[in-house]
Amino acid sequence: MTPKHRIGLVLGAAVISISTLTGCSSGSDQAKDVTEITVYSGRAEEFIAPFFAEWEAKSGIKLNVRYGDSAELAAQILEEGENSPADLFLSQDAGSLGAVSSEGLFTKLTSNVASEIPAKYVAANRNWVGVTGRARVFAYAPDRVKTLPLSVADLTKPAYKGQVGIAPTNSSFQAFVAALVENKGQEFTKSWLEGLQDNGVKIYAKNSAIVEAIDKGEISLGLVNHYYIWEVSEALGRDINVKNGFFVAGDLGNLINVSGAGVLASSKKQSTAEELINFLTSAVTQNEFVEKTHEYSLLEGAKQPEGLPALLEIGAPTIDLDSLKNILITQNILVEVGLL
Amino acid sequence: MQTTYSGRTHSSTSALSKSARNQSASKLALRSAVGIVLFLSTVPIIYLFIRAAQKPFGQTIDLLFREKTSRVLGTTAILVLAVVVLTLLIGVTLASALHFIRLPFRSLLIIPTVLPLAIPSYVFTYTWIAFIPGFSGTFAAIFILTLSTLPYVILATLAGLRSVDESQIEVARSLGLTNTEIFLRVVLPQIKGYISAGVLLTALYTLSDFGAVSLLNVESLTVTIQNLYRASYDRGAAAVIALVLIAFSTIVVIIDDRVKNRAKAGEAVKAPTSKKVFIESKGTRFFTLLLLAVLFILSIVIPFIVLITRFLDNRVAINWPDLLSASLSTLLVAAIGAMIALVLAAPLGILLSGRSDKFTRFAQRIITIGHGLPGVVVGLALVSVGSKLGVIYQSIFFLGFAYALLFLAKLVASINASLARVPSGIKDVATSLGANPWAIIKKVVAPIAAPGISLGTILVFLTAMKELPVTLMLRPTGFETLATEIWSSAAINRFNEAAPYALILVLIAALPTFLISRPDKADRMFANESMGSEK
Repeated sequence: MTPKHRIGLVLGAAVISISTLTGCSSGSDQAKDVTEITVYSGRAEEFIAPFFAEWEAKSGIKLNVRYGDSAELAAQILEEGENSPADLFLSQDAGSLGAVSSEGLFTKLTSNVASEIPAKYVAANRNWVGVTGRARVFAYAPDRVKTLPLSVADLTKPAYKGQVGIAPTNSSFQAFVAALVENKGQEFTKSWLEGLQDNGVKIYAKNSAIVEAIDKGEISLGLVNHYYIWEVSEALGRDINVKNGFFVAGDLGNLINVSGAGVLASSKKQSTAEELINFLTSAVTQNEFVEKTHEYSLLEGAKQPEGLPALLEIGAPTIDLDSLKNILITQNILVEVGLL
Repeated sequence: MQTTYSGRTHSSTSALSKSARNQSASKLALRSAVGIVLFLSTVPIIYLFIRAAQKPFGQTIDLLFREKTSRVLGTTAILVLAVVVLTLLIGVTLASALHFIRLPFRSLLIIPTVLPLAIPSYVFTYTWIAFIPGFSGTFAAIFILTLSTLPYVILATLAGLRSVDESQIEVARSLGLTNTEIFLRVVLPQIKGYISAGVLLTALYTLSDFGAVSLLNVESLTVTIQNLYRASYDRGAAAVIALVLIAFSTIVVIIDDRVKNRAKAGEAVKAPTSKKVFIESKGTRFFTLLLLAVLFILSIVIPFIVLITRFLDNRVAINWPDLLSASLSTLLVAAIGAMIALVLAAPLGILLSGRSDKFTRFAQRIITIGHGLPGVVVGLALVSVGSKLGVIYQSIFFLGFAYALLFLAKLVASINASLARVPSGIKDVATSLGANPWAIIKKVVAPIAAPGISLGTILVFLTAMKELPVTLMLRPTGFETLATEIWSSAAINRFNEAAPYALILVLIAALPTFLISRPDKADRMFANESMGSEK
């Protein structure tokens, strides 16, 4: 399998370089000439590979997928610049997409790409589009939390002393803190984080570790993304004693993050890459995301993951996701209060 | 008459200068080769300077002098210092015990002390976190890193001890010196250089490690660098901190240099006739076996128990074709890396075997300094350069080349250590007998240096098999190694599914560690060679 793969790769690379030499104009590739495209995927193989396989079967185009961490793949694309072999970048979070976009390495998507995705999940310059929605929630043990918090501000109250878990190094937690900074200012954010610490907040390395800790009874409540209760229960191979809860409408704790995709400006196969985005954002595929990965479909009126409110009913705050890409200020605050 | 005379003179000088010219020509060729290797291995450092320069000067200053930088620097210094002191104490004690004390199955006992090299630091750390929930912090990191790097010091010390002139020990003993006095006054001065080489690798490993510290929530320089890439996508800032790390590893290399220079004078070459001296004492024997057992449990038994438990808990069917292809890919690309490293290290090794000049020693130091850089930095530098190379980029050869650059210092260090065993007198004699430099290398230097060279090559091979960050960046798209498979399961918390890959990786990596840990074989090679030359 491997040697064959390698030969294919060398041939593929040769084809690419020949087509470069013969000067295909970018963006105007003929879909019928394209036999394969390269995807840099920050989304885990386990969850996304079935979708890729489906598209390969449907389109007859082979996908060379490079799996990695979203932020590291973004850094790699920034280093590769014009020479990136990638045609499409699929990222776990908006921040990594924003970083590539701000260096001008994405192309503006044509208007018929992902046209059904609401504007709030698309970059203002149409350099990238959201593919799936991830809600920030509080995961909790239903039998141990007597009064559910109404707002993230409640978590500093004595009722939750020593009971709350957070993952300060996690990028979706940082995106949430960035939203706090953006909307409530640095002073508020700092005093809230310090309040959490005074209240004996427990620190974890990952969202999944928080959910596991709730299940084990180490803590009763934690700030995570909504799909981790499934991810942890599937990884453990059993039901867990953890549920998702939402704060009141408009609370920043209900932030919606997206995973998303952008097409590289240097790609010679942009229209094929756009077709892949159209596939991922089509009603059928969006439904499959809801069923299989328990993420939110971004399409209006789509059904939601089992047991959760619909996307519009969450009462998510209005946040420009593009504005969350530089979280240096956020990080500095986290460092200042000693959480990083 | 006069013309004939001058003619004869002319011809004889021309013959002389011809051989001299040949010699200097081959030396020049070697030096240019070293120059090229030096350039290649400074690519990451040059890259860092370029990236750092792109950052506004004021910001660079702010970054360097912010409170956090000094805190992280302090953490890193504590980590390096603690690991160095601990590995030095434990490693030298254990290696000396293994060398001097009559123990049952001595050569078998060496194996478990070297075996930790087979376990990637992220796997090792993970197994300990699974074993003790809540295992984290600086002490945990010191614990993990000490156990992971002990083999470097033990291997180096053992190599040094084998070169010690045993007859001197006999003399010292007949003069009534105690064992401790003999060790401190006779043995230690002779092996200081070797120990320093092992400690250097330990210090640079600790500096560059990311897997253990990040899993244990310890913010060392490598973690800060990674955070800067991840959170703010600020490559300039990451480069500035990486240069701080370079400064740190420069200091480490300078210290090592000082120790080695002082050690050089006293270094002797083992007389082939001397007999091994053993210490017979029940107490020391018991203590040694106890220490060995404790280390064996901490660094081998516990990780294996966790991995096997996870393996048995794994309910997902093992994908055998994937497992096999990942194993073969791992072996293939690590072998390519080791071969390229050997080619790159060869000119340097040959020059170091001569009366090493300033340039060669400079090259060696720069290569060693670069060894302190974390994989992410070297990886991104090579992405930056490699992406301009077309088809070569993201090929297995480029990945192999990256491994070679990343681990070249290990090979250079062991070549250097084994060349120290080549008595310079032998070379002078050979030269005066008219042997050309290549013949000297082939007949005199190579046989003696061979064990060190193979040790170094195996070390590169071994570390390349476990490497993760550079593999993720530079592997051909779709090409998976055992390390990347472990990563992709662990990234989504499927640790049970990662277990088969981790077990195979450790088992495959254990084979070369067996080779490394059989010093008697190397000794025999050395002994045979010396006897051969006596005949």
